[in-house]
Amino acid sequence: MKIVVAIKQVPKTDSVKIDEKTNNLVRNGVEGVINQFDKNAIEAALQIKDETNAEVIALSMGPNDFETSLRGALAMGADSAVLLSSRAFAGADTLATAAVLASAIKKIGDVDLVVFGRQAVDADTGQVGPIVADKLDLPQITYASSLRVIGDSRVSAVSLLDHSEKRISAQLPAVVTVRSELNKPRYATPRNIMLSFDKDITVWSEKDLDVPENELGQAGSPTIVTKVYSPEKAAKQTMNLEGDPTTVAEKLISELSAKNVL
Amino acid sequence: MFDNTMTAKQKMLHEMVVDFTENEVAPFDMEIDRKGDFTDGLFQKLIDTGFLALTLPKEYGGAEFDPIAVAQTINDLSYGNASVGVTLEGHYKSIDQLLLYGNQALLDEYLPTASQRIFAFSNTEPSGGSNPTGIRSTAVKEGDHWVLNGDKVMITNGGLAEVYTVLVKTGDNEFSCFVVDKDMPGFTFGKREDFIGLRGTPVGEIVMDNIVVPESHLLGKRGQGIEIADQAHDDARILMGAVLTGIMEHALKIATDYAKQRKALDTPLTELQVIQEKIANIAISKELTKLVYQQAAINKQNHLPYMEEAAMAKTFGSRSAVAAGDDALQVLAGYGYSREYPIEHLIRDARALEIAEGTVEKMRSAIAKAEFAK
Repeated sequence: MKIVVAIKQVPKTDSVKIDEKTNNLVRNGVEGVINQFDKNAIEAALQIKDETNAEVIALSMGPNDFETSLRGALAMGADSAVLLSSRAFAGADTLATAAVLASAIKKIGDVDLVVFGRQAVDADTGQVGPIVADKLDLPQITYASSLRVIGDSRVSAVSLLDHSEKRISAQLPAVVTVRSELNKPRYATPRNIMLSFDKDITVWSEKDLDVPENELGQAGSPTIVTKVYSPEKAAKQTMNLEGDPTTVAEKLISELSAKNVL
Repeated sequence: MFDNTMTAKQKMLHEMVVDFTENEVAPFDMEIDRKGDFTDGLFQKLIDTGFLALTLPKEYGGAEFDPIAVAQTINDLSYGNASVGVTLEGHYKSIDQLLLYGNQALLDEYLPTASQRIFAFSNTEPSGGSNPTGIRSTAVKEGDHWVLNGDKVMITNGGLAEVYTVLVKTGDNEFSCFVVDKDMPGFTFGKREDFIGLRGTPVGEIVMDNIVVPESHLLGKRGQGIEIADQAHDDARILMGAVLTGIMEHALKIATDYAKQRKALDTPLTELQVIQEKIANIAISKELTKLVYQQAAINKQNHLPYMEEAAMAKTFGSRSAVAAGDDALQVLAGYGYSREYPIEHLIRDARALEIAEGTVEKMRSAIAKAEFAK
């Protein structure tokens, strides 16, 4: 079995800055880390590998310094890594990103399962996984909170939504996006960290892929970001509840119910 | 400060260890001190995550990380709990001596399992500590093997470790090191010490009653025991500097967090010069200890002498960490004196390292002798 895990490197800092001219996130000079949900995706793939001896390939699109995150995936236990990097990919929205990823997955070949994190914490769209499934014409399961491969032919998962959950089974090959509830990502062992630096990371540009020029980068990105801004921080409302513990508990339930929290 | 000088490998390791400490060690800091134990779950996680294999050569399943990265790892873990750092320190210094002095047969016998079980180094006996003239344990050659007898005490990880390097007499004023393990006939564990600090790390006794070992279990050459023990001390002292830095980082975090949210009447504690002085003192001590242990680790990495720097890190760091704990306690005042906060155990933990691996008095003597010899 061959599993591709698509990962994104996101800014480490919580205080993300926005370029006022381009409306894009400022990434230069900001240290990158593996998107937290993608660590769940890596762990999901590695758990299948532990059981079935599957081959796990980490895949990412971005500038050269995204190698840091791919190296991190190798240190967690991925077998190999592919970086899709080219100036032609710059400015890609989710559609153009998915076009490149889908082409790379086709080029890797014989892939049984593609795993994504549910969304990236920097842009929060959650669109790339589903678009890749569409481009590859594969079944998809999103927001998986449990995941199981059945034999060589099917994948079964619980898709956990805000107010419901669905049990879904799909024919392989398939695309799955996973939630953080699915697992606790393993730590990279010191030995795997050391060994990860002995491995080469394959780098592919548009010349290695089969994506029409007008679907690449900015040209292939119909999304127009009109404005990106940090939400205003509203002053926190506070309320003092007084009385004996029973009274305070009753008031608390009443207040929370009134705000539809309970 | 250190971040900028890290290689990519060291940085990735550091980030993993910080993450591990935050999630697996720090939340149990108080519990480890109260229970006097971290073998319930956390110890297995340390093994599973590969910490015991940090210094092992790759061919034995290890990561083969360098002394600088190893010291930083101990520093990071000790920020969460110093006992965790000290237990690994005891393991690493023992592995170091095996790698430095062990014959191939000995390495092949023990190193394949060193990622799964703790190794220890023992020289102290009831009749003496760092002074070898107090050693009564013996190894007597009988045919092609050795017979070991004696009693070793105050062993870091004694009782937890499964493999022990022991310093014994092999003749008049001749000392040698041998490797024994808990499964050998004649090997028994003695009592565990009831220490006031570093309570998560067992410190105990082993008794050797006619333990028979082959010649290959002689570590280094016959008569090389004191040299090996001194080397083990030097290696340990680098890592003790790292443990102490971790303790001071912890004390500083508690004190600064408290000062930032507390007022004395209407004045924030952060604006009071008496508080600022204590915070600055902790920060200075922490940074200087770190610089010295790093220098020792860099020297070790580059095969340069590091006895003095290692002794300085332990000597300066231990007194400074006790003082840092005391300063932090004073910043928190009544809360600092309460066992609800960990500061009191940070002081107890730091105090142990004014004694372990050679007292600070002995360290100062060694440093002075080295200076006179220049």
